Amino acid sequence: MASINWTRDAAAHLLRRAGFGGTPAEIDALYAKGLEGAVSSLVDYDSVDTSAYEAALAAKNYNLLTLRGITTWFLDRMAFSPRPLEEKMTYFWNLHWTSGISKVKGVTLILNQNKTERQYALAKFDDLVVKVSQDPAMLVWLDNWLSQASKPNENYARELMELFTLGVNSGYTQGDVTQAARALTGWTLTPRSYTQADNYNGATFQDTPAIHDNGSKTFLGQTGNWTGYDAVNIILNWSDSKGTKSGRFLSAKLWTYLAGTYPADFIVDQLGAVYDSKAHSVRELVRAIFLSPEFYEAHTRKTWVRSPVEYAVASVRMLEGSTDFGSAFNSLSGMGQVIFNPEDAKGWDWGTSWMNTGTLFARASLSNTMATNRGNNGTRFDPNKLLAGKDASTADKVVDILADRLNIADVTPDVRAAWINYMNANDDGSRGNWTNTAANVDKKVRGVVHLMLTSPAFHLA
Amino acid sequence: MAISRRDFLLRSAGFVSVSAMVPRWAVAGTKVFEESVGAEAAGRTLVVLELMGGNDGLNTVIPYTDPAYPQVRSRIGISQASTLPLDSRLGLNPVMTGIKSLWDKNRVALIENVGYPNSSLSHFTSRDIWHTADPALAQRRGWLGRWADAAIGNSDNPLSCAAISQTLPRTLLADSVSVPSFVNLASYTYTTDGTYPGDRNNQLNTFLLESSDEYEIENTMSEVTALGTAAMSSSTILQSVSNGYVAGGQYPAGTLGAGLLLIAQIINANVGARILYVTFGGFDNHANEDNDHDGLLQNVSDGVKAFFDDLDAHGKAHDVLLMMWSEFGRRVQDNASRGTDHGTSAPHFVVGDAVKPGIYGGPPNLTSLDSNGNLKIENDFRSYYGTILSDWLKADANAILGSWPNLGFVNKGYV
Repeated sequence: MASINWTRDAAAHLLRRAGFGGTPAEIDALYAKGLEGAVSSLVDYDSVDTSAYEAALAAKNYNLLTLRGITTWFLDRMAFSPRPLEEKMTYFWNLHWTSGISKVKGVTLILNQNKTERQYALAKFDDLVVKVSQDPAMLVWLDNWLSQASKPNENYARELMELFTLGVNSGYTQGDVTQAARALTGWTLTPRSYTQADNYNGATFQDTPAIHDNGSKTFLGQTGNWTGYDAVNIILNWSDSKGTKSGRFLSAKLWTYLAGTYPADFIVDQLGAVYDSKAHSVRELVRAIFLSPEFYEAHTRKTWVRSPVEYAVASVRMLEGSTDFGSAFNSLSGMGQVIFNPEDAKGWDWGTSWMNTGTLFARASLSNTMATNRGNNGTRFDPNKLLAGKDASTADKVVDILADRLNIADVTPDVRAAWINYMNANDDGSRGNWTNTAANVDKKVRGVVHLMLTSPAFHLA
Repeated sequence: MAISRRDFLLRSAGFVSVSAMVPRWAVAGTKVFEESVGAEAAGRTLVVLELMGGNDGLNTVIPYTDPAYPQVRSRIGISQASTLPLDSRLGLNPVMTGIKSLWDKNRVALIENVGYPNSSLSHFTSRDIWHTADPALAQRRGWLGRWADAAIGNSDNPLSCAAISQTLPRTLLADSVSVPSFVNLASYTYTTDGTYPGDRNNQLNTFLLESSDEYEIENTMSEVTALGTAAMSSSTILQSVSNGYVAGGQYPAGTLGAGLLLIAQIINANVGARILYVTFGGFDNHANEDNDHDGLLQNVSDGVKAFFDDLDAHGKAHDVLLMMWSEFGRRVQDNASRGTDHGTSAPHFVVGDAVKPGIYGGPPNLTSLDSNGNLKIENDFRSYYGTILSDWLKADANAILGSWPNLGFVNKGYV
């Protein structure tokens, strides 16, 4: 087996992928733990005390009865929680089976789904699938609460297999979708009159035998009077010669999310075997990814296109900024990701599909707000804090300090030169000579941070 | 691009000013651009309206005299009395008065029962199939992306294709043509520090230089890098298209009306736009369709009517064809949630002066269904696309799609 060259750069890479990036001090601390210690410190996060953070978060009084409130609350957790992987995985599940407020209406239902995804973020996959299948927001989002024996609604049953557990080409048929829908009848809400949107924040899951289809169903080759629990169990244990199909499906998707590249077949084989041998444990699957030599190879570095949410969070976290995430929330639509309100059940495509000319400008606008906010409220950072205690006497030195902080010191010499020339340039474009004065820091350090945040390199993690 | 970004920047000694990014044809109008592609179709624009989620064709174009219709749509069917008749067998949903008025002026072709064999009932697979025009999903590029590579791949026009959309529709995914995407123009610009307006040009020029690295191998970094230049050059042009614009139509409130207005503004700015794409979502009506679907259809119908009123007022309708599509139709039998599940074929509209008006195919047969209770396909979607490619865009449809029958809905005078 190839060995892993554990370097500070590798630690920075791990922190970008297992979390949302880190400060130089955080990267140093992670590097000092060694590979296995570093991975364990991220993956075995139950031992990390969050009480101080939770108290600080509560004191910020995000209004959890509004979409703005729950969005900014979640962004705050991603940026500042002492358990970065817990939030990174909660965000994974949010991308995997998010439900949209436009249809669900109840903000509390959406918030509760997010809490469920956090609670089960690294659990046995079966437990999470059952919890999400019974989650009130999901029951509304994909209509299963309306499905009944007399007329099963296929919407959830189809997406459960296609999007959430098996994949569209795994070999199930339309007949399997219909039979799974029959098995899932009866998983509904109480009360069962979902009409007054805002009153529905109180809706809870109820297994209602009266509307469950008690007939025999033949589903993925097995015949019986299956319930919703049986359907989940049959789906997640459906296997071929390589093991469970759900294990391979989840392995490929998690690898793509965390390693930022599509997995080779042998990686899917290895990870699928971990899933099967470790009782469908998501925690062990994630640990295996972070201990995989391929995770640290050059071809997986700087390949993950930051989603709009990650872009907003990483800039705050890596610049040690302060924010109420209001400007991030306002920018999400323009950047193409109104979190908690995807257009459809698939959610968003990842990768370069986040990036187009319009979303590029929206990102530039958000980062400009952060870079140029000189007040005491909103999203902001302190340029002097980033340079404190360092030799920041020339444009070259400032550019190197800032590029290192944003983990983009690996840009081409041309781009580094463009940043340095920018700092030295007079307003008419002629060459000047940047010196470290308060006025020059206010103008050009803010300016070059904005340019770095909008450079191609920073859109990639 | 004919001129590499790096060449372009190096040619202009030192920093370029942003106005230098405006290509020469944009200043001279479309004339130079037409010469550059050399085809008479060069002045024509195709507008694509995607209805996302799977539009219910049977509640859009109603087989209102078919006795099976009220039975299969006992919960959410459109009453025969309220239908707007197109002929003795098919009529429009009563909210579609806008499309009906265009129909009455011989500006609508209705293509019935469009789909493809062995329909996928997955939104995502089916959408990808429609985007790529390839049921085998072996094509990476979209069908209009392949057209763009062949027809305008050498153009440096940053607005030859554009999407009024938060994301780039795969239909327009091309190898050699960058397609800008945006939803409004006010924010379609690179913002800089308002405290130091004198530093703005330095920032803009540096942003262009950051976006100028060239890569020998296409990868994520090269794709992201290429966007910067495309964004800046299209922004410079787009910032002026709405100046002093007076709309000649009553656009409905909402994103579709705003998107169609923006398309009209771009067309009237004569910037050489060939494909303009707009998306409109919400059609996945599994439940409570009777409450939701009519509003969506009315938005589409009113929006398209306003768009053509606007084009008429500006004398531009002659040069524009609008086509609609959706990834599938819906199950014939409505469900107990007052909605419909995923189906197969559906009717689609083509609107413009160039259409040979009429109904192509249909009405749908509500009693001869496939094993899932879905409609059978009559017109392959590649015939639908191919007719537009060959007769409106004057392209080699065969090379892009393979050989499919031409449906003949573009008027001979335009072919």
